[in-house]
Amino acid sequence: MSFRIDRRRFLMGSSAVLAAGAAGFRPAFADDTNLRQIFWGSKARADRTFQANDLYTKANPATKISGEFYAWNDYWPKLATMTGGGNAPDIIQMDYRYIVEYANRQAIAPLDSFVGKELDLHDFDQDQIEGGKVGGKLFGISLGANSVASIVNTKAFEEAGFPVPDNNSTYDDLMAAGEAFKKANIRGGMKAFQDGSGVEPLLENWLRQRGKALYTADGKLAFDGDDMVAWFKLWKGLRDAGAVVGPDDQALDTGPLESTMVALGKAAVTFANSNQLIAFQAIVKDPVTIASFPRIAKGSKGGHYRKPSMFWSIAGASKLQSDSAKYLSFFVNDKTAAPVIGIERGIPCSASVRDLIAPGLSPQDQISLHFVSNLGDLIGPIPPSPPANAGEVDTQLITASQEVAFGQKSPEDAGPEFVKTASDILSRKG
Amino acid sequence: MTVRSIDGGVAAAQGAARASAWSKFWHRNAAGYGFLTPWLIGFFGLTIGPALISLYLSFTDFNLLQAPTWVGDANYLRIFTADPKFLQAMRVTFFYVLFSVPLKLAFALAVAMLLNRGLKGLPLYRAVFYLPSLLGASVAIAVLWRQLFQGDGLINRLLATVGIEGPSWISNPRYALWTLVLLSIWQFGSPMIIFLAGLRQIPGDMYEAAAIDGASKPRQFWSITLPLLTPVVFFNAIIQTIDAFKSFTPAFIISSGTGNPINSTLFYTLYLYQEAFGFFRMGYAAALAWILLIIIAVFTGVSFLSSRYWVHYDE
Repeated sequence: MSFRIDRRRFLMGSSAVLAAGAAGFRPAFADDTNLRQIFWGSKARADRTFQANDLYTKANPATKISGEFYAWNDYWPKLATMTGGGNAPDIIQMDYRYIVEYANRQAIAPLDSFVGKELDLHDFDQDQIEGGKVGGKLFGISLGANSVASIVNTKAFEEAGFPVPDNNSTYDDLMAAGEAFKKANIRGGMKAFQDGSGVEPLLENWLRQRGKALYTADGKLAFDGDDMVAWFKLWKGLRDAGAVVGPDDQALDTGPLESTMVALGKAAVTFANSNQLIAFQAIVKDPVTIASFPRIAKGSKGGHYRKPSMFWSIAGASKLQSDSAKYLSFFVNDKTAAPVIGIERGIPCSASVRDLIAPGLSPQDQISLHFVSNLGDLIGPIPPSPPANAGEVDTQLITASQEVAFGQKSPEDAGPEFVKTASDILSRKG
Repeated sequence: MTVRSIDGGVAAAQGAARASAWSKFWHRNAAGYGFLTPWLIGFFGLTIGPALISLYLSFTDFNLLQAPTWVGDANYLRIFTADPKFLQAMRVTFFYVLFSVPLKLAFALAVAMLLNRGLKGLPLYRAVFYLPSLLGASVAIAVLWRQLFQGDGLINRLLATVGIEGPSWISNPRYALWTLVLLSIWQFGSPMIIFLAGLRQIPGDMYEAAAIDGASKPRQFWSITLPLLTPVVFFNAIIQTIDAFKSFTPAFIISSGTGNPINSTLFYTLYLYQEAFGFFRMGYAAALAWILLIIIAVFTGVSFLSSRYWVHYDE
């Protein structure tokens, strides 16, 4: 899935080297610094990143950056294999879910010694610096704050004649929107919402509004079977009423953005992250916007939190750590790079960068920017980073939700069963 | 003293003889082994070596980032006593093997017989029918399959014209695996080519004689074609069975590696991949791999043992 260094670019590059050589210029050779970079994301992200890389190379002609990117699902196996093989790229995009694991295994390097020198963080948001720390040491530079968000196809809501969801929408509104869509019967039976019963961040948001959480600080489940029964029942109700997409359609969503219900046109709302608005807009023809996840009741608070959307980290085995740190500093501070990078990875954490790019942002980017800064009472404290094996629990939630959706299990059976399986997964060593 | 010195002399003589045999052997074969070196390096360095390492890893906990730690038979114990996903993967894989292999072989044989009737432009047809096998497990085919078999896909539109409202085949746990079986059958090219070669080996005068004796076409098939073709059937069956057990890509691409809906397409190798690269349990995955190796070995062994009762090698 890597699009970097395609053939054309390679040919152009090598002929440029040849031309430079022929003309007596110094061609790119071994004394140049070659930074390797790896990240996950869409083509839209890759384009922005590579553009920023080109700017960096223009400012630092002796440094070349070769980046590769993968879809989320493919990214982690790739990174783990490279790391295990002692071949990890210098600059690594890291996620909140994995940073503890990688830091504890010295697969990524502590960055404290670079701060104030190569790495300029003088007007960086303090909470975002804290978010990149593991055991008191800085292991990741946050590339933006974001929050979970509903991605909403506004045109579809107009066609259905129902008000577009906003930050005050509740699960009851979700049902009402479903009714309206059913009555309007637009686009061959488009539903209002995706089936969210297998969406882990949505479950977390819902649990937090009930005063619970996904995980405790010591890595155990922070909810019980009754919560899960209620959760599966809630979605069964919506499903039976035809307010959300049926199980056959929902199962087409296998993870990538392109297979989500909004992208496939099966539903007008998909549950995702605020910074993904840009990526969604790139593949959905209708205008899309974002709203909070539904509230469980009017005035219910604290389901959301501002989290580092992702980090840049530096490989523990990298020989070019200080060069990499310089690049990181450029990426989060540079005035020429900032407009290129925009808010695609999240709202920038440097105050001056935010001020610089805010006026030039497209109306849609403005939506993102304002959404994250104006969540108000929806915001609660940031939870501890998830335990090892949390990824497998996520997988198990999808399986359990499908078992209920396809009618293989009742919510009453599936709830306690999921809690048991998830606990087993968490207690499994190795 | 004398005895010993005689003994010593004999030993020395034997040693010299052995040494000269060795040097003779070496002299004669050195060039051969020289030419074999690239293969030998590949075989020991890239096949046997890693296989032995994976055997070792199957007795360890290994997450790629840290050195492996020895855990004895814990991985195997868990697989056989406390792993519902292993059982699910076995169910899916055996279902797939049991249905896809015979159906694919039957289909390949049928097409091969159609093509074996002295058609004009045979090479063209052969190439056309082989095409799906080349496209094989590409991403494009996975996308095509989704387009064909999803709720509003082509198949359902065709069914709708005769008044049948089909489900979303590819995302329904009851049918998803069948779409993969179908995909496998569609890629019947290589067994077909081999069948075709086998059919051409059967002397035409046998059919002539049978026809004179009044044997009908079906009778000719059962009494001449099939028996004489059994070596080819046997070969194809073994190759296809091994392939089906190892099948990975179709399920991986169509379900983005999840094996969903409800693990209904969780092929054994896909589960192995998830454990290894999704959850970084390399030791556990290595144990799974060795179990698969043994299963395939047993299947192949049983096939060979049974072959003497149904495979006819003529002459």
